[in-house]
Amino acid sequence: MSLCQNRLQEERKQWRRDHPFGFVAKPQRTAQGTLDLKRWECAVPGKKDTLWEGGVYKLDVIFPDEYPTKPPKCKFTPPLFHPNVYPSGTVCLSILNEEEAWRPAITIRQILLGIQDLLNDPNPESPAQADAYNLFKKDRPAYERRVRQVVKENPPM
Amino acid sequence: MIELWIDENLKLEVAIDLRTQSEVEQTQQPNLNAASSPGAKHVIDGSARSHPFPTPSPSEPSSHFSSDVVAPEESLLKPTPPLLPPAGILPPPFITPPSTRKRKAAEAAIADDNQPLPKSATKAAHARNATASDRPSTRAKSNTDKNRSTLPILTQSPESGNSGKSPVGLKRDIATPATTTGSMDSDDDFMSDVSSGDDFADTQGSDDESLGEVDFGDLDTGFSDDKDLIKQKRKPYEVEFKVLDTSDIEREQLVQINEVSAILGLPPESAAILLRFGRWKQEKLIEGYMEHPEETLEEAGLGTNFEGTAKTEVVSDFMCDICCEDGSDLQTYAMRCGHRFCVDCYRHYLAGKIKDEGEAARIECPGDNCHRIVDSKSLNLLVTDDLKGRYRTLLTRTYVDNKDNLRWCPAPNCEYAVDCPVKTRELRRIVPTVRCFCKHEFCFGCAITDHQPTPCALVKMWLQKCEDDSETANWISANTKECPKCQSTIEKNGGCNHMTCRKCKHEFCWMCMGLWSEHGTSWYNCSRYEEKSGSDARGAQAKSRQSLERYLHYYNRYANHEQSAKLDKDLYLKTEKKMTSLQSQSGLSWIEVQFLDTASQALQQCRQTLKWTYAFAFYLARNNLTEIFEDNQKDLEMAVESLSEMFEKPVSELAELKVDILDKTAYCNKRRVILLSDTAENLKNGEWSFNIEW
Repeated sequence: MSLCQNRLQEERKQWRRDHPFGFVAKPQRTAQGTLDLKRWECAVPGKKDTLWEGGVYKLDVIFPDEYPTKPPKCKFTPPLFHPNVYPSGTVCLSILNEEEAWRPAITIRQILLGIQDLLNDPNPESPAQADAYNLFKKDRPAYERRVRQVVKENPPM
Repeated sequence: MIELWIDENLKLEVAIDLRTQSEVEQTQQPNLNAASSPGAKHVIDGSARSHPFPTPSPSEPSSHFSSDVVAPEESLLKPTPPLLPPAGILPPPFITPPSTRKRKAAEAAIADDNQPLPKSATKAAHARNATASDRPSTRAKSNTDKNRSTLPILTQSPESGNSGKSPVGLKRDIATPATTTGSMDSDDDFMSDVSSGDDFADTQGSDDESLGEVDFGDLDTGFSDDKDLIKQKRKPYEVEFKVLDTSDIEREQLVQINEVSAILGLPPESAAILLRFGRWKQEKLIEGYMEHPEETLEEAGLGTNFEGTAKTEVVSDFMCDICCEDGSDLQTYAMRCGHRFCVDCYRHYLAGKIKDEGEAARIECPGDNCHRIVDSKSLNLLVTDDLKGRYRTLLTRTYVDNKDNLRWCPAPNCEYAVDCPVKTRELRRIVPTVRCFCKHEFCFGCAITDHQPTPCALVKMWLQKCEDDSETANWISANTKECPKCQSTIEKNGGCNHMTCRKCKHEFCWMCMGLWSEHGTSWYNCSRYEEKSGSDARGAQAKSRQSLERYLHYYNRYANHEQSAKLDKDLYLKTEKKMTSLQSQSGLSWIEVQFLDTASQALQQCRQTLKWTYAFAFYLARNNLTEIFEDNQKDLEMAVESLSEMFEKPVSELAELKVDILDKTAYCNKRRVILLSDTAENLKNGEWSFNIEW
């Protein structure tokens, strides 16, 4: 079995054995009903005691053939209001960038935890969407209002 | 006279041949040596020569010659009481001063004693080798000196007589890695011999320095001991540089690594990482390390633990975090940070970094959030040989990129780097042109092809301007005028002279540029020229046109030389054919027709210089210096054009023109050196005033 498949199989096993509370991560089923290990449906809960608490944000994690040499792509569905999320929903995060901090030893668990941290701790150095970034920089109260709105739109399943 | 010239060429040509075919040097030696011996005969037998000098070219002041003529003959005929220690003329015991002998001995000690070639053969070859490359500048220099000083040439100090030497020194550097150890030494000897020969010729005021070359080149064949008699000095526009090949660069790195490793007591592979982290600024790095050793190590990605040796192991109860394999016989590896992965994953990771990302100097540990740098020892343990090669190449690349005094030769597929001490802030005062082994001449400051005498900043501005402006400006100049009120550029789109500016609605007459309202009833028939509004408008118009035309003046000449250089180059490609047919038509030997090649190279070089003089002149404010500059420019231009013209003559006439062409070639080179020296000196002293800030 290829390195990619092998590793994803193993990650799935580990995830089922143990995963952080409130998180979801499972391989999608293809149209034929088989498991597609390279596309995972995931969900990240907002951290307790933060603005984002109470919402659960769904995202697709898509693994390339070169995984784990190359990082997977993480995409919020629907796109999320957040300074470091592109209008397409793709997350901009250093550990997901091959040229930056991606390491083959990073697992899906670390990725999802990293994204949870990012929610309440945006990085204004690498803005990915104008809306959230401008509000975040210029009008914090309005930004917070928008986030509360987003929380309401993403209730736990 | 002609006879002598043939000898001179003979020698020159062999030189060219050698330069291009240095790899077959060995086999060619005996031939070449034989070929040049008639020249030697001529020289020694100086009395046989009545006038060993070329006819002065018409444009050249004949006074240069008058003072020069006697000296070389005298010295040649009576070599015993030399005015200077004439490098190649006397047998070594005679003239080698003790210091030189000492140095010689020291060099001999270093040298490989078993020279593979017969000494005389090697020497002859190298003499030519050196002569060919140094020829234009040396020749030119001798004249510069003369032109510049009114001192009698015979009393010139050794230093000034010697100023043509630096290219020899450079050439020596250049020659070093290319040749084998044995011949390298003799190479050294040889260069110096020849250069001292040149010096001698210079000092003696021989205008025909080819004379000097032939003579000393061949005379030297017998003995080689007097080298570096006189201290070397560069021309004002030349800079010190050294060409390095990959192994030189690797050696240089190794020296520094070992040094730092010894001083700080770190393993060499760690010292290497530290040096790369500190961009090879050794002193600063050591200082920083002494102050905060742990922080520095951490920042550099080293950590403070230097225990243990790099080896792969089988570890019990292990699962690789990358592939999730957990076989009991799995080979694993961890650097000192302790992040352990299976060897396959490690290897795969490193291969990806090296091959796909081209990373080498700062490959971090594959562990999450670990910034430990993978050292060369670990790497060599893990990856295949081809990757090791690639890894070293990449390291060398970053080394050169990181060092301010190094730059890769920008020529395609060239693998040499140039080491030049000129700093970025000095670029306002110096135009550091360097010449790679691959013969590509480029500016060390900006990597653009040789752009002397124009400083880098002006070159950049000029190129930018040309890119933006030239064609547009041409068209604008031909087809438009500016609105007298708002200065918008207007193209006349109808027959009527009544213009209304679309932008400011100003109404004016296209013919006289005056107010339309003043035209009264004489509409559509402008005969007014006297009115004030019209003449003011024309004045403003003229001013804007003037600046445009000034630019076009310089641009057209710049572009013309670029174009002509291309055409000359095409011609050069045909030259070889020409030379072949010249051989069959005139009965000259191959060697004897090489003067065309020399001429063609001189043309290329002079046109390159001329081209940039126009860009330079565009930015010059008018003053006396500018006048001198333009005179020099004009002289060079005239010389180049007349050489270019001769060069194009039908093959049948070329043989007759040989002396003239040679003469003109030398003259062109000389004018070029004068122009460049003058410009460079003024630049260095901050004498130029420019019409812009830069």
